[in-house]
Amino acid sequence: MPPSPLAPLRPAPLAPGRRTGGRIAPLPLALGVAGILGLLAVRWLAPPELSAGLDDGVQDFITLSASVVIESLPFVFLGILLSIAVQLWLPADLLTRRLPRSPLLRRAVVSLLGVLLPVCECGNVPLARGLVLRGLTVGEAMTFLLAAPILNPVTIITTYQAFGWDDGILVSRILGGFVIANLVGWVFSRHPRPMSLLTPAFQAACAHDHAAAGSKPRRAARMFADETSAMLPALFVGSAVAGLIQVVVSRELLVALGQNPVLSVFALMLLAFVVAICSNVDAFFVLSFGSTFMPGAIVAFLVFGPMIDVKMLALMRTTFTARTLVQLTAIVALAAAALGLGVNLLA
Amino acid sequence: MPRLVARWKGVALTLVGVVATVWLALGGGLGLYIHPRYFGFTAVMAVLGGAAAIAALALAPRAGGADDADEVDADHETAPGTPPHRRRLAQLAAWGTVLLVSTAVVTLLVVPPAALTSRTAVQRDIDRTTADLAGEAPSLRGADPATFTLKDWALLVRQNDDPAAFAGQRPELVGFVTPAPGDPDDAFYLARFTITCCAVDAQPIGVPVHLPDWRERFAVDDWVRVSGAFGPDPTSGSGLVLLPEELEPVEQPEQPYVY
Repeated sequence: MPPSPLAPLRPAPLAPGRRTGGRIAPLPLALGVAGILGLLAVRWLAPPELSAGLDDGVQDFITLSASVVIESLPFVFLGILLSIAVQLWLPADLLTRRLPRSPLLRRAVVSLLGVLLPVCECGNVPLARGLVLRGLTVGEAMTFLLAAPILNPVTIITTYQAFGWDDGILVSRILGGFVIANLVGWVFSRHPRPMSLLTPAFQAACAHDHAAAGSKPRRAARMFADETSAMLPALFVGSAVAGLIQVVVSRELLVALGQNPVLSVFALMLLAFVVAICSNVDAFFVLSFGSTFMPGAIVAFLVFGPMIDVKMLALMRTTFTARTLVQLTAIVALAAAALGLGVNLLA
Repeated sequence: MPRLVARWKGVALTLVGVVATVWLALGGGLGLYIHPRYFGFTAVMAVLGGAAAIAALALAPRAGGADDADEVDADHETAPGTPPHRRRLAQLAAWGTVLLVSTAVVTLLVVPPAALTSRTAVQRDIDRTTADLAGEAPSLRGADPATFTLKDWALLVRQNDDPAAFAGQRPELVGFVTPAPGDPDDAFYLARFTITCCAVDAQPIGVPVHLPDWRERFAVDDWVRVSGAFGPDPTSGSGLVLLPEELEPVEQPEQPYVY
């Protein structure tokens, strides 16, 4: 009998000497509280006149990078907490038992899981990791990873608000996202040794998960420490790269390309790659290019961006090997470009 | 040390991010980075994330017990039997992580929170972004122009350069000073950033203000309140500009962006 999904919110068992061993460690707890107070003190004592000495470029680089971190962090926490809930409280065989047997249908259903788990792309890498640990194949996890940011209610609503039914942008985004995610899942499902697509560190996590013991709160605590250690350095570095490119690369260059039916597609794909914006709001961002860029370019932006960008590559690198990511990027980029060019042809 | 760093770097970065976010949320500074629609969600998830990090610290470490076997796996990089180059690599990774956490502390907690500057307005080509957004301009007819933001006026002026359409309008606008395209001496842009999600997607928008030798009165990035009427550009004779009647420096508003 599985406990309710709300179980993680229950307080941890505090009584010492329980068989499950949910004992509190006083020293790390004290260090953590001291750490928070120390960080607060740093903020409190930091001299406000410090910014006057900074070059505007450096200042804007910091503001841009920090904004990506602050915007993404809550979604990452949401994804990690959902992922922990899926791993600890979803019965091991529930997914594999309920999904259709045919691989094609399985991937089709997996690509719709985002409707139930509306996490944007920065949050669903931990979720996909959790699903692999739960018995999904690597190909199916990739299908989920690519489809969920697009086929989720928040993204669909914001895309509708931004573009309505104009130029088939919404429909192309939904169908294109679905087809590309399933295509990628199919390609990688044909790999003879799918585990070799994963980083050795994550393979080890897959192997050792089955042996993990201890009370559920304790395991949840351990998973939180592990998942944040895997995700957050990537997020912070990716945000810095996104901020840096924003300060350094000229937008004028990209925008000048907007009216060319072929180049506009590649220009907005490149922009999607560098701005690394969350899929549930990227439609509002690209709306401002709506008047200068052709609709196929907008579709390519909206399909490619949620799947591949600098931040996603950094996050996915925690799970997949570099070689896999190069192949993945090539397939998604070609398919998104084909979709965008097709829309431009019809427009 | 590499073992401790590898295990706790996520919790450390969580605490840095959470303290920065909660501080901004309490001090009203979140608006410098993200759209107000995320304020509630961001604050709630920051508190949950912080609580989870503290719970992880309190529950996860163990000196001896059932899953000690795992530790051997996780720590074999630093175990005595590892080749020296692997251990050096682990040391290096640990120092890299310490550098990353320190950088996060400096950028998120030491450097004071700030709005984007005029440099980004120029880099993102304020003229182009204002033109791109012009299609979203509100209608003057039947609306109360007193409720219009700087963004509304900037888009309206870009959409319609007929002075007659603006007859009788005396907007009072607050924005920062940024050079107009071509960097003329007799006009600047009164600008703001409009954001849809977070500062990374900020689009600069601005109203051209005619003021000969403006550099003698204001520096780039100064916040200014301007009131006046729209009229044809006295220099070129074409295009609408704001002809200021009153100009005064003001403090940066608590909410520097428009939406």
